[in-house]
Amino acid sequence: MDGHLFWGMPVILYLFLAGMGAGATTVSASMLLRGGGGARGAHHEIARYGALLGPIPVIVGVVLIVFELGSWQAGHYLRFINLFLVANLSPMSVGTWLLVGFTLTSAMYGYTYLKFMPMYFGDRLKWRRALAWVNIPMGIGVAIYTGVLLGAMPSRPFWNSPVLALLFLLSALSSGTALIILARAFIRRSGLSEEKREEIHKSGYVLSTADSAIIGIEVISIFLFLMFAYLTVGDVRYAIDVILPGGELATLFWIGVVLIGLVIPGLLELYFVLPGLLYQRKYEVSRYTEMLIASAVILGGFLLRYVVVIAGQITGPVGV
Amino acid sequence: MDERPDKNRLSRRGFLAAGAGATVASGLAATVASGSAEAPSDAAQRKKYAVVIDARRCYGVHACTVACKAEYKVPLGENRSWVEEVEKGNYPDVSRSFLPRLCNHCNKPSCVSVCPTGATWKRDEDGIVVIDKDICIGCKYCVQACPYDMRFVNEDTGTADKCDFCIHRVSQGLQPACVEACPSRARIFGDLNDPDSEVSKLIAKNPLTVLRPEKGTKPNVYYIGADHTDERDPRPDGMYVDVKTNRRYKERR
Repeated sequence: MDGHLFWGMPVILYLFLAGMGAGATTVSASMLLRGGGGARGAHHEIARYGALLGPIPVIVGVVLIVFELGSWQAGHYLRFINLFLVANLSPMSVGTWLLVGFTLTSAMYGYTYLKFMPMYFGDRLKWRRALAWVNIPMGIGVAIYTGVLLGAMPSRPFWNSPVLALLFLLSALSSGTALIILARAFIRRSGLSEEKREEIHKSGYVLSTADSAIIGIEVISIFLFLMFAYLTVGDVRYAIDVILPGGELATLFWIGVVLIGLVIPGLLELYFVLPGLLYQRKYEVSRYTEMLIASAVILGGFLLRYVVVIAGQITGPVGV
Repeated sequence: MDERPDKNRLSRRGFLAAGAGATVASGLAATVASGSAEAPSDAAQRKKYAVVIDARRCYGVHACTVACKAEYKVPLGENRSWVEEVEKGNYPDVSRSFLPRLCNHCNKPSCVSVCPTGATWKRDEDGIVVIDKDICIGCKYCVQACPYDMRFVNEDTGTADKCDFCIHRVSQGLQPACVEACPSRARIFGDLNDPDSEVSKLIAKNPLTVLRPEKGTKPNVYYIGADHTDERDPRPDGMYVDVKTNRRYKERR
C-alpha cells in the first residue's frame, strides 16, 4: 500500500486481463461447440464475439507484465527472453508456455472468424471447430494458472489456498462472459427485424443464465476461501484478517468485490433470467441494463485481483 | 533443481580430464590419480556450508550489517544481512534481544523451486544458493516465495539479490564478511560435512532453533539461544512486544 509492493498494478492488470481473455475465448469455444459448431449454429454470434475479443486482453496483459520485470526497469530490455529458453516446473514457467500456446491458439481461433481474411490451409469451419476443442482446455489452463502462480508459496499465506485458483478460474469465466455481453450490448437493436431481435435476446438469455450460475459458484468459493482461512490457526488466520471487517482491505473487498462484483449483478441477472428459467417467459432486457450488469461483473473481476494481489503481499511472515 | 549440473564443476571436470590427458602423455600417472581423487564430484569432498548464530553473544552493534553493505555496495534501503531487535515485556520485567539474519541457504529452497528461468540454484559442491545475474529477469517471484524476506530486487542490476555466504571469500578459504566483522563471534561459519569444524561441534552440543521451520525449507542457519518472538504472535495479556527488523526502512506487519 505504500508503493513498495513487489508486484504492483501491471501484475494485477495482467492477472485480470489474461483471465478475462481466457474466459471469453473459453466461453466462445464452448458456445460454438454447444450450438453444433456450424456456420449458423444456435450461438454462433456469441461465439464470434468471444473469439474476436478473447486474444486482445491476453496480449495486452502479457505486454504489460514485461514492464514490471526488474530487468526491464534496469534497462535490460530483452532479458525476458530467458523465460523462453527453459521449461521447468515453476508455475511461472508452466504459465509462460501455456500463455504462448494460448495466445497462438486463441489468435488462430479468432482468425477463423475474420471473414475478409483468406484461409490458406483447409476449411474455415473445420479449423474453427478443431481450434474450439483446443481452446477450451487451454483457456481453462491459463485461467487456473493465474491462481496457481500466486498459490504456490507457503511464504504468502493469503494466497496459499487451493480455493484461490478455482476462484480465479470462475472469475475469469464470469468476466469473460461479461465481456461478451458488454460487446453485444453496443450493437443497436431497434432497426432489426423481429426474428433477429428474438435471436439476440435468446443468446443474451443463454449468456446471463451461464453468468449467474458462475457467479453463484463464485460466491460459494469466496465463502469457502474465507471460512477455511478463518477457522485455521497461524499465518493463514492472521492473513485473512486483512479482508475481514476492520481489516485494511475489508471495505474494498466487501463493497467492491462481493457487493458490486458479485451480489448485485448476480441478483439482477437472476431477476431477469428466472421468469424464463421457471415459466418459459420471454427474456427481454435493454442493452443499457446489460451494459451495466456486465460492467459491474468486469469491475468486480478486476477488484478481486487487486484485493488478492495486495492482500497477499501486505500479510504473512514476510510482509511488505 | 538438485540435479542441475553446476557450470564450475563441469568446467573443472573438463579441465581435469584435459589435464589428465596431458599428464598421461608425459608419463606422470601418479599425478593423475591424485588429481582425480581431489575432484569435487566425490561426495566426501563436498562441503555443506552453514552458519551457527549464538544469539546470546550478539549485542546489536550491527557490524555484520555494515561489513556486508561495504562488501557488496548493496543499494540504499536494502540489506543482505541485518540484525533484528526484539523488545518485550512490561517494566520492570523486560528483555531486549537480537536476532542476526542472513540467507538460510535452505536444503529445500522455495526461492529455487519457483524460479522460471533457472537463474537461481543450490550448488552441489557447497550448498550455497546462488543467483546468476545474467539469467535472472527480475520477475520477483523468488522475492515473494522466500519466507525469510532475504531476497530483494537490486535496482542497479534489476535482478534478484541476496546473501551468498560471501562466495568469493569462502572459495578463497576466507570467512564471510559478516562473520569476520562480528566482534563478539556471534556468527560462526563452517562446513557441516566436516565433523571437526566448529559449526559441527556447536550443533552437536547445543539446543538449536531455525527460523520458521513450519515452512519446510530446512534452513542451514542455526540459532543458539535466540528469541524468535513475533509481533503477531498472541502474548499474555498486555505484554508489550516490539520487533524492529532493520530489514529496510519499513517494519514487518
